[in-house]
Amino acid sequence: MEANFKPGRLCMRRLEVMDPKDADAVHLKSLRLLETMGIKVVSEEGRRLLKEAGAEVDEKTHVCKIPGSLVEESLRKCQRPVKMAARNPKYDFVLDGEHCYACTDGVGLATIDLDTGERRPSTLKDVADSAKIVDNLPMMHMYNPLVTPLDVPKHAHTVHEYLTALENCEKHYTTGSTYQREEAVFEIEMARAVVGGEKELRRRPIISSLTCTTSPMVLGMTTDAAIEFSRAGCPPLLMAMPLIGATAPMTVAGAVVLGNAQVIALATVLQLAAPGSPLCYSSEPMAMDVQSGLFEGLFPAADMVRAAHVQMAKRYGIPIFIGGWGTCSKAPDVQAGYEKAFSAFIAYLSGADMTSGPGLLENWTVLSFEQLLIDHEMFTMMADMLKGFSVDDDTVPLDVIREVGHEGHYMGKKHTLDHFREMWQPVVTDGRTYTEWKAGGSKSAVDHAREKAKEILRTHSAGPLAEDLRKDLKALVAEAEGAIPHK
Amino acid sequence: MTGDKEAILAELENGVKNLQQEVAVEAAKKALAAGVSPVEAIEDGLAKGIREVGEKFARKEMFVVELIYAAEIMSVAIKVLEPELKRTAAQRNVVGRMVLGTVAGDIHDIGKNLVRIMLEASGFEVRDLGKDAPTESFVSTAKEMGADILGASSLMTTTVEVQKEVVDALRGAGINAPLLVGGAAVSEEWAKEIGAHYASDANSAAVTAKQLLGKGG
Repeated sequence: MEANFKPGRLCMRRLEVMDPKDADAVHLKSLRLLETMGIKVVSEEGRRLLKEAGAEVDEKTHVCKIPGSLVEESLRKCQRPVKMAARNPKYDFVLDGEHCYACTDGVGLATIDLDTGERRPSTLKDVADSAKIVDNLPMMHMYNPLVTPLDVPKHAHTVHEYLTALENCEKHYTTGSTYQREEAVFEIEMARAVVGGEKELRRRPIISSLTCTTSPMVLGMTTDAAIEFSRAGCPPLLMAMPLIGATAPMTVAGAVVLGNAQVIALATVLQLAAPGSPLCYSSEPMAMDVQSGLFEGLFPAADMVRAAHVQMAKRYGIPIFIGGWGTCSKAPDVQAGYEKAFSAFIAYLSGADMTSGPGLLENWTVLSFEQLLIDHEMFTMMADMLKGFSVDDDTVPLDVIREVGHEGHYMGKKHTLDHFREMWQPVVTDGRTYTEWKAGGSKSAVDHAREKAKEILRTHSAGPLAEDLRKDLKALVAEAEGAIPHK
Repeated sequence: MTGDKEAILAELENGVKNLQQEVAVEAAKKALAAGVSPVEAIEDGLAKGIREVGEKFARKEMFVVELIYAAEIMSVAIKVLEPELKRTAAQRNVVGRMVLGTVAGDIHDIGKNLVRIMLEASGFEVRDLGKDAPTESFVSTAKEMGADILGASSLMTTTVEVQKEVVDALRGAGINAPLLVGGAAVSEEWAKEIGAHYASDANSAAVTAKQLLGKGG
């Protein structure tokens, strides 16, 4: 096992938040909406593809009514299983439904400075530092820039982020804010330069793209970017982000159906554009605080929508990337801890292949390096439960139990020695006695996390890019700056 | 012969510190066959190994499970040496004599057992009263063995008070040997308050005990 890469295992029984007949109903109601009400498709190419395949397209309103049979046929065509490759092949993984992974989530705009503790606008160095930490942490498996750097040309920030990520992290890359076709084209070119061409990227997609649909019932311009990724053989992650009570009905089930309809509509467009290409279901619902009207990622209702979407993805046999780990806390504190734990754990208990969100606070807008270490620690704890356990002659040592008898202990037994390394161990969690803790400066998990983050940044670096490759990538970034439209 | 002896002592030490029971037991048998004194086999072999494990444990380089397993190996190897030890009536160099126990009302003795392991490895002769040990037994055993130091462990907040009873009983009986207290419910302040000495873990218990007896550490 690589010291910097350890997949989670999903061996315990799955949680299903819906009765299977309710999951069927979600599917049928989604199809009915797509057939009778239709979905607005902003992308011209998307509309053309749907029309050619038999959808009823209104060129004035851009609403496309999609036959249920077309949707179901498209869902069947998706590539299975989906492979997520990485700059360094030792970090490649396959979404087989038996393992679980964690990714950072993106597009925060502020960073809590690791040295000053003050909140400030985020920079490209924050992208580099967070990428380096993800490269080091064994149970962070893929990197999506947690923040958008405000010190690079805004229209081309995605290519700058990608280059910086490639320089600092050898794991799979997910772009979270590629909205335009031109950005996608350049990111794909960069990925091809890294792996050695178009065919090789298709075989080993080292980049994936989070593609947001828009609630209610719109496929926006991001569809064009997603089409580029699909054609390149790189999996788009089709994200629904229903805001319960605002852009989705005020009920869990209503938001589940609306989000599901959007995801399967986009899957249909992408399978028409690139039949048999890989894709993932994705969901990052939020809920309205009914008192204030603010939107929060953490509410239990939003977590239930997440779990239901995992169940739908499983029903379709498509891997799922869940935007979880939500918190509206402004600091890495107790609130952040419990909100994030619930939101991530219910997704994994339901069988989510991937979740994202570690390291972000205040509804995925603020990066905290301390929180990134703490969330990683929480995931190691979750994974320790999710892996389940077996009941056999080795795990139930009847002879040792008889030998120890009615008193005594197991601490000096060979069986204990043989198994104790399987036990979860803390990195930032403080488990010391009061006396030791006080003598050590009364440090909290946040303090330990800060020290660990600084230690990683001081001591770790990703394997460097070959100098020629780095030059080529820089040239692509420069070219992209000129070619990507200012929008 | 000297070379053989060195090799045997190294095997005894390695058997313990590398957690290989067969190696330690075989080396103990070899020591007997080669005429190595059992006292040397323990002190320059097995105990050296356990001390290293104890130090690594204190530095968090080895785990508690490994420390206890190493102690098991040591005691199994000592059993091999015991008949010869008795026959020659050889005496180990004793750094100090200690009475150790978990106080009355408390049955948590795993921590106390770790303290015993480290003290024995550091050359103490330890009389272990076990768990839920009556206060009077600390007094009577100390008198009987001429204890230089005592140790009282308590895990529960409800039984730390008993440590004070132990101090009072000792002093009442005219025994002025220092008392070492420890356990999850104990603090340095508490130790001071009752006129005892505090150790936070097994390794520091051994170090503190040596210091209290003026034997360095």
